Amino acid sequence: MNRLNQLPTLRIDPAVNHSLTYRGRTYQGVAGDTVATALFANGVRIFGRSLKYHRPRGLYSLDGECSNTCMEVDGIPNVRAENTLLENGMTVKEQNVKGSAERDWLGFMDKLDWMMPAGFYYKIMHKPAAIWPMAMKQIRKAAGLGIISADHKMKGRYDEQFLKAEVTVIGGGAAGMAAALAAAQSGRRVILLESRPHLGGCFDYRVSTTSDGTPLHERARQLAEKVKQTTNIRLFEHTSMVGAYNNNLITAFQVGKADDGFTECYIEIRSDSVVVATGCIERPLLFDNNERPGVMQVGCAHRLARTYGLLPGNAAVFSVGHNPGLEAAVDLFDLGLKINCVADIREDGQDPALLLALTERKIPVLKGWVATKAHGSKMVQKATLCTIDGMVKRQFSCDLLVASAGLTPVSGPFILAQAIMGYDDHTGYFLPDQLPEKMFPAGRITGINDPDAIETSGRLAGLEAASAAGADLWTKVAETRNALAAMPGPERGCKLVIAPVKGRKSFICFDEDATVKSVKQAIDQGFDVPELVKRFAGVGLGPGQGGIPGHNLPLFVAKYTASKETPKPTTVRPPLVPAFIATYAGYNHHMFKRTPIHHSQKADGGIFRNIGVWQRARYFTADVDCKEEILNVRNNVGMLDASTLGKFRIHGPDALKALQRVYVSDMGKAGKDRIKYSAMCNDDGCVIDDGVVVKRGENDYYFTTSTGRAGQTAEWIRYHTRYDNWDFHLVNLTDAMGVINLSGPNARKVLTKVVDIDLSNEAFPFSGYREFYIQDTIFTRALRLGFVGELSYELHVPSSYMQAVWDLLTEAGKAFGIRNFGVEAQNVLRMEKGHIILGQESEQRTNLLDVGLGFLWDRSKTVARTVGAVALRQAANDTGRLTLVGIRMEDDARPARDGSLIVDNKVRGYVATMRRSFTSGEAVGMALVESQLAGAGTRLEIFEDECNGVRIYARVVPMPFYDPEGERMKS
Amino acid sequence: MLGKRKPLWGKKKRLKSSYDAVIIGGGLHGLATAYYLAKEQGLTDVAIIEKRYIGLGGAGRNTAIVRANQRTQENVPLYKEALDLWPVLTKELDFNLMFNNCGNVNLMHSEAAMKAARMNVATAQFHGVESHLIDAKEAKALVPALNISEDITYPIHGAMYHPPGGIVRHDAVVWGLAKGAAKQGVHIHQQTEATAIHTGGGRITGVETTRGRISTNRVLVSAGGYSAGIINRMLGLRLPISVLTIQAMVTQPLKPILDHVVSSGAYHCYANQTLKGEIATGAHMDPWPNYTTQNTAHYIKHQAEALSDWLPCLRGVKFMRIWGGLADMTPDMAPIMDGNDPVGGLYMDCGWGYFGFKSCSAVGKYMAQYMATGNCPDILKPFHLRRYENHRLMGETAALVNYTPDN
Ligand SMILES: Cc1cc2nc3c(=O)[nH]c(=O)nc-3n(C[C@H](O)[C@H](O)[C@H](O)COP(=O)(O)OP(=O)(O)OC[C@H]3O[C@@H](n4cnc5c(N)ncnc54)[C@H](O)[C@@H]3O)c2cc1C
Repeated sequence: MNRLNQLPTLRIDPAVNHSLTYRGRTYQGVAGDTVATALFANGVRIFGRSLKYHRPRGLYSLDGECSNTCMEVDGIPNVRAENTLLENGMTVKEQNVKGSAERDWLGFMDKLDWMMPAGFYYKIMHKPAAIWPMAMKQIRKAAGLGIISADHKMKGRYDEQFLKAEVTVIGGGAAGMAAALAAAQSGRRVILLESRPHLGGCFDYRVSTTSDGTPLHERARQLAEKVKQTTNIRLFEHTSMVGAYNNNLITAFQVGKADDGFTECYIEIRSDSVVVATGCIERPLLFDNNERPGVMQVGCAHRLARTYGLLPGNAAVFSVGHNPGLEAAVDLFDLGLKINCVADIREDGQDPALLLALTERKIPVLKGWVATKAHGSKMVQKATLCTIDGMVKRQFSCDLLVASAGLTPVSGPFILAQAIMGYDDHTGYFLPDQLPEKMFPAGRITGINDPDAIETSGRLAGLEAASAAGADLWTKVAETRNALAAMPGPERGCKLVIAPVKGRKSFICFDEDATVKSVKQAIDQGFDVPELVKRFAGVGLGPGQGGIPGHNLPLFVAKYTASKETPKPTTVRPPLVPAFIATYAGYNHHMFKRTPIHHSQKADGGIFRNIGVWQRARYFTADVDCKEEILNVRNNVGMLDASTLGKFRIHGPDALKALQRVYVSDMGKAGKDRIKYSAMCNDDGCVIDDGVVVKRGENDYYFTTSTGRAGQTAEWIRYHTRYDNWDFHLVNLTDAMGVINLSGPNARKVLTKVVDIDLSNEAFPFSGYREFYIQDTIFTRALRLGFVGELSYELHVPSSYMQAVWDLLTEAGKAFGIRNFGVEAQNVLRMEKGHIILGQESEQRTNLLDVGLGFLWDRSKTVARTVGAVALRQAANDTGRLTLVGIRMEDDARPARDGSLIVDNKVRGYVATMRRSFTSGEAVGMALVESQLAGAGTRLEIFEDECNGVRIYARVVPMPFYDPEGERMKS
Repeated sequence: MLGKRKPLWGKKKRLKSSYDAVIIGGGLHGLATAYYLAKEQGLTDVAIIEKRYIGLGGAGRNTAIVRANQRTQENVPLYKEALDLWPVLTKELDFNLMFNNCGNVNLMHSEAAMKAARMNVATAQFHGVESHLIDAKEAKALVPALNISEDITYPIHGAMYHPPGGIVRHDAVVWGLAKGAAKQGVHIHQQTEATAIHTGGGRITGVETTRGRISTNRVLVSAGGYSAGIINRMLGLRLPISVLTIQAMVTQPLKPILDHVVSSGAYHCYANQTLKGEIATGAHMDPWPNYTTQNTAHYIKHQAEALSDWLPCLRGVKFMRIWGGLADMTPDMAPIMDGNDPVGGLYMDCGWGYFGFKSCSAVGKYMAQYMATGNCPDILKPFHLRRYENHRLMGETAALVNYTPDN
């Protein structure tokens, strides 16, 4: 197709060719083309088939408000070909066709619409029940547009930016540019977002002029130049705004250019104020076959010619309801389009200059007329026009029917920002009744169309937004407001809801093939408000969202139900423009906390798991039973990286009171050189945390929490002391300190080699706490604990020294068989000792008493109002609670799997942890059982998953299973 | 099918001054209870009071996942019955609820999670509900789009596979139940808000609405996320419920790619494909109590990051629409179903969080029985309100949960 190569409005570079492959053939487009315009240039008119009826679909709006031109591009489905810039070498496929878009075997579906009234799928296909599964398969196959393969790998680089601006302007048309410039003059930082690849909006392609005679396209380019030269405006072209959240948090995504280094970029802007200058799209005209290829909106036809140099057809009929429609007819005629007739819905009120221009060109104009039908099975061949009362009809042949009921504002940003929407009788627009805070409308969205007024309203909004963001521009605001008031205001909009047709083939929503008739059917069945019609008849829920039906549906429902209430649009939801999951994900980095010796653990063969926010080594061999790790702790000495423990300092006059509040024990008894083990409960008496506390000085305590609780502890203590106004400070040392657990009979021998204090059992006994320096340099807090049941030192050292200490111990331990152990080995070691891990042997239903930690609770501490004490007191007399017991299998060769149930005719409990002990050879573990089954010797029936009715048995036995007297850990 | 189209749930009715029972909330639970009251309990003089339009609450916002692989024996039988009722209701209501029992695949990302899942699986099997533990390769065979490599944030260890679960069309349930209830004489009053509940002598005497007063001696509060507020405001009872916004979203429609409901606790993310072809996906609640139902920028991004990891092919798919609804959470993730305590004639059915869709069929049936007879059916007994007073939580989640500001 020959391009109109010389137009000043072009956004293509006819000299640079780009090729694309479509249906096995290679086509040539040019730089600046979209995929859709390149195909159009090569004669493609049918881009795909519709969802239900497989109707042919073509170019309609050129802005992607419907799925008409959704295609598969380079393996990616549902790409809006009309918004996607052509790149050299693209491969394009049509969607939802059997055969081709041109010849679709399923085209006959269009004749079966009578079988598919609104909501038909709720009423058929379930009788008899047996057909439903088969029908469902067919429905699934028929539904859906694009195809994605299960192993699809998205190419490209996805970036993200988090920005701050005083003023953000959405929309880079004349109003948006004027707003950005006005706001920038005050020195504010301004961000301007434009969804098309270039600035200009509705000025960009028009040859009509401003009051001083400048053609609009020239004016657009002048403004754009100024914007680009203004350093405090950050311009983002090809960037669609997708979300507006509380406090003017705006999200958008930018499509990268060839040299940008990213494919798409997710952008989040915290903005003080916002100007919405998103302009208008067109309100689709409802008539029969209103979406036949060859039927186009005004802007689409106009931009095809002016922006892309492509004449949209040979012979056209126009059916419009606004001046831009007439303007386009004049201009397109001048560019070589034959126009057989222009029908204007309005009886009067047309711009006289445009009427004159049409007359001069001998284009017949019918006022008060509208299109009622497009003829032609695949392409428009003829149009029927009719008076709006439906009385007189005439037909015109044509291959292009430019149809538009008028304009409709792009008010999505307001709706996303929770504006209360209303209906404006003069313009016929849905506009905010109440603007969201610090959001200002500018340009055509307000109903104006006069070019000078558009710019002035932009300037006004820019000044207002800058003022709302702190600039003192109120006098200028007042001046500009007066200037705007003197200019032409909002124009009366065309109110025709639908051409005089029954509407069987008048499509109100293209994406879901919803016709006027199906909407009527829905209303008749009680779905008589837009929100309900939308769901029942499927309107505005497809890829284009509300773009096509958004304005017409509420108008039509109001008309059909003869409702006296003002029509209400349905809700618009983010993203305003569909956006790739890849784009939203951005960098998508994994964020985990690593301990200071992560890398040496990894080098030692550690296999890591994510536990809460941390990565921890679970195993050090491929043996999931960890036999060697376990036995080495029992027989020699092992080292565990326990840096993930929560570590806190609490100090100040009221520190002890705070501890008394959250810990169940009497923390007044925490001594200086001794550690105190205790637990915290929630209000239900459930254990939420356990750990140790040491008193390091007057009103100064150090305590540990479990790995998972470190994040919440500060907030927990703050919350539970919030009414007391106590004076204490809490310092989270979790990341500042690392922890090494050195355990096993040889632990003392190893530690002796690196420190020079007396480590004898008398000098540093079990439960003791000492502080010393390793190598005179590394300040160390040492706790003698017994979690794994052996002689054990927990060494707390500054994170920066962790690696050094670890290396020293490794070196010192060589002679004693030292090696790593991970959390699974620890799990088994502590289980043999009957020590619980919260969340493993405890759960939502169990409290402190149930898990055998009742001895920690000091009942006399009533003044402290210990969290959980009320519940514990009450529970002390409860029966039938789950209770933690030790169990041993009758058959030691067959430990039950963790999570197996303990049953009779009901579920009575479950196995929390069970292993066959490498030390004793016994299959032992811990279980939570109802209290009546907790007596020693009780035989328990175990139901394992996949047991096929075969039960296994265990008995309740005393704990611990290993070293019951604790001689080893105390030695 | 092609006959004359009549309003599905009858013509608009006049609000009578008295009904045998009044149900506040035209959501899933209110409609189901009304339907069963009329159908099985012979109580047809029933009014449903709905402040907006039926189904515009949680009923029309959920992701319609149904399953019966809960953790405890108090819950599994109730959900099993609910699951079994979908085909029955489809037939009874003569309305296709579009039950797609595609099965649920619940991913596990650690040994500890597999252990926890084993308990659910054993509990299900013990109650005759099909559920299995499978390893990562088996999961991949079921869900080819799954990324089972080691280099993702939470590598997949295995999954809990529950074949009888799936998805049901949520709107169909609303409309089908409304149709069924109305046919038996229940009055559905849309755009009618309950503004007060009247009591006298410790009993319910009536309900005040924006369209006038109704006298009745039986009220069911089943207003979804608004129930706790209604009960507090109108009766002064404070329920241990935190209301949070929960969001969900869909992608553009695709040809079949996901044949199961797939979910991951570690990623806080689940996904399934609707019959229309969209991938419906959601995550956790927003972690602060609120009634806004507003979307947040963070949420959709989180969802994209999670899906990029474990369903990476979806990176080439576009999000189309995100919305929010309310989740009314109790401390033990199990609902409150109770009656006649502490007010005679007051029934409540709330605290359903993000799992009140899958239960509505069976719950409606038993709540109807409860309301008609005044006696609590055995299956509902564990869900009484006073369990919180007694600190006897249900154990529906293993972990402790907390939604209050100390969270
Ligand atoms: C995003 C999301 C995803 C979910 N996903 C699932 C899922 O996959 N599976 C699942 O099982 N559940 C899911 N749920 C939960 C489920 O939707 C709810 O639990 C369920 O809708 C509760 O039903 P209901 O009838 O109690 O309340 P609703 O369905 O919310 O109905 C309550 C009704 O009460 C009305 N109302 C409120 N106040 C008044 C008043 N004063 N007077 C009159 N009427 C009033 C409301 O307008 C509303 O229509 C999800 C929820 C959300 C929000």
